[in-house]
Amino acid sequence: MTTPAPNAGQREVHMSEELAGLTVGLIGAGNISHVHVAAWKALGARIVVYSLEGAEELSKQYGLEVVESLDGCLAEAEFVDIVTPSATHKEITLAAIKAGKNVICEKPLTLTAADSHEVIDAAEAAGIRLYPAHVVRFFPAYKAAWDAIQAGRIGEVAVARFFRQASSPAGAGWYRDVARSGGVIMDLMVHDLDQARWMCGDVTSVYAAQNPPTVDGVSPVNVAAHVTLTHETGAISHCRATWGATGTTFQSGFTVAGSSGVLKFTSAADTGFKEELQDGGAAGDLLIPASTLGESPYLTQLRELAIGLRGGSDPRVLASDGATAVYLAEAARASMESGRTIDMKTFVSTGVTA
Amino acid sequence: MSLKVAIASFAHVHAASYAQLLGSMPDIEVLSADPDGASAPDAGPRGAEFAASLGVPYVDSYDELFDWGPDAVVVTSENAGHRALVERAAAAGVHVLCEKPLATEVADGEAMLAACEAAGTILMIAYPVRFAPSYLQLRAMVQAGRLGDVFAVLGTNNGKIPIDSRQWFTDPKLAGGGALVDHTVHCADLIDGLTGGASATRVYAAANRILHQDKGAEVETGGLVTINYDNGLMATIDCSWSVPDNGPTWGGVSLQVTGTNGSVEIEPFLPHVGGTDASGEVFLPIGGNLDASMVGTFLNAVRQSGPATAGKQPAVVPQPDGAVGLRTLRIVDAARRSAVSGQAVEL
Repeated sequence: MTTPAPNAGQREVHMSEELAGLTVGLIGAGNISHVHVAAWKALGARIVVYSLEGAEELSKQYGLEVVESLDGCLAEAEFVDIVTPSATHKEITLAAIKAGKNVICEKPLTLTAADSHEVIDAAEAAGIRLYPAHVVRFFPAYKAAWDAIQAGRIGEVAVARFFRQASSPAGAGWYRDVARSGGVIMDLMVHDLDQARWMCGDVTSVYAAQNPPTVDGVSPVNVAAHVTLTHETGAISHCRATWGATGTTFQSGFTVAGSSGVLKFTSAADTGFKEELQDGGAAGDLLIPASTLGESPYLTQLRELAIGLRGGSDPRVLASDGATAVYLAEAARASMESGRTIDMKTFVSTGVTA
Repeated sequence: MSLKVAIASFAHVHAASYAQLLGSMPDIEVLSADPDGASAPDAGPRGAEFAASLGVPYVDSYDELFDWGPDAVVVTSENAGHRALVERAAAAGVHVLCEKPLATEVADGEAMLAACEAAGTILMIAYPVRFAPSYLQLRAMVQAGRLGDVFAVLGTNNGKIPIDSRQWFTDPKLAGGGALVDHTVHCADLIDGLTGGASATRVYAAANRILHQDKGAEVETGGLVTINYDNGLMATIDCSWSVPDNGPTWGGVSLQVTGTNGSVEIEPFLPHVGGTDASGEVFLPIGGNLDASMVGTFLNAVRQSGPATAGKQPAVVPQPDGAVGLRTLRIVDAARRSAVSGQAVEL
């Protein structure tokens, strides 16, 4: 593992010996591709990009090489970084596995746990490494809290709360179509479902409410989901995810209370940097968590995953974690639809996405 | 005109604040009684000694207290004792400010409302956070439609376990439960005020006892309560006693309200001057004296309504009233049942 340079700005180059001569096949050119491209370039990687839309534009902006087909991309790349809409993750991951290429796949790994297990099984059978990009595990605040919990700083975890809110992406594009995005729980809360499990342990039950409800597979534009988890440790946790009014500033945070202490963080308050610029810039944007002032967590993430793909030590998040996060999101949806608490000992992923 | 205000019991920690406030008002005569104080297992002073420390007159029994002929009574007994005292006050035509929660059981709460209604006495519930300037601003914005359609609320009422000063808070019989009972109602009241009295239709609660295990508490110390309302609103309340013993004594209450046009988050106890002194952190609250606003509202209503007339509604019904107390108690009761069954409770 390389040691991240403390306080290094994102624009600096973080070339890493372990990643020398790397060619990444970027598949997809939407929202999240921009931060991945910036990170890969900072790591000194060559990027070939394939996308149904936007590849030329992305390529011009960052100086990438466009390839005209998925097969061409797979042939050219050492491994692929899949940043396409969620509903296409499974198919593209299976194609990469078939081509013998390792995979980094944006969260959610797939839209159902059954599909996640299918791609995991296929990867294992082919000897392929597959990592889900659950970037929140690489955000310094979340990692610091996890470390403190592991070190026993707050004793036994009792009650945890996580939240995540952003300007709704559901006004346009594919997010509002629950069959393609999974809705606000699968798309946004999946981060915190992973965090809740990471910090509080494996989940025994899931209760979920969403308002307004999804009707006929179409998510409301402005919507909030509240999910309560119980954990094997006896801890209880709550996740709130909100697609807010247009212009809502991205915010996330947590409070984790344990038997001997409490840990708290909110991205809006605890940055050590406040600005108020009267230049008419619009507040709020995408669903992409704002980066921290130090090294980009996306860079930290992609470096750790890439080193893992090259045979280094396992990263802090594995495909099984991605599959479990999806499984929890599915259970949340099942709870929402039935009004019942879902028992995770018996819950079976149905594979229905809408 | 001077008002005679009785304080019935020092069991609740808030009695001290009310006694000091009432004692400092020039046109208020105060008399207190805490007959069960002597047998309480609390470390701190109760009864006559506590009254003396607060500088308020004291009598030994509730008989003497009500024989005094009070215009109003503040009921600050253990939760399970509210019903008997409120019914007694109603029978005597005495207006009531009752500490929250209204009661430990819904049937008790219903009986209390019926008694006060029959007697024509005021029944106001002591939910002071309703009087916070930040909350009033939020409510005005919601009412003016500034948030658009409000569809989700996340409330927290954390804070320390009150076991050190008053042990009955962790006695399942006297308190009616633990954190679910003590803390859910404050946020439920704030939500009630925002919605104009929406009723809960479904309540789910998860609770545990991991916090404060070392103190031998027989009740839940952590809880998360998710509520659906008949107006479509969804809310979750974290009612856990999750501020550690060495944590700050302030704060812990927040309400995050999301609408189609944006969101507002309030922390009513946050406004303060900070700093450091010889003993550590300095926290000088500047958010206003909420108890004073609440007690003032109650006393104004008592004055304007005059003596109770049986069967006649008081001229002024101060909010939050008994109906709010009952709606919030129903939520607590459903939360308790849900925490046991593991499933949501339909109301």
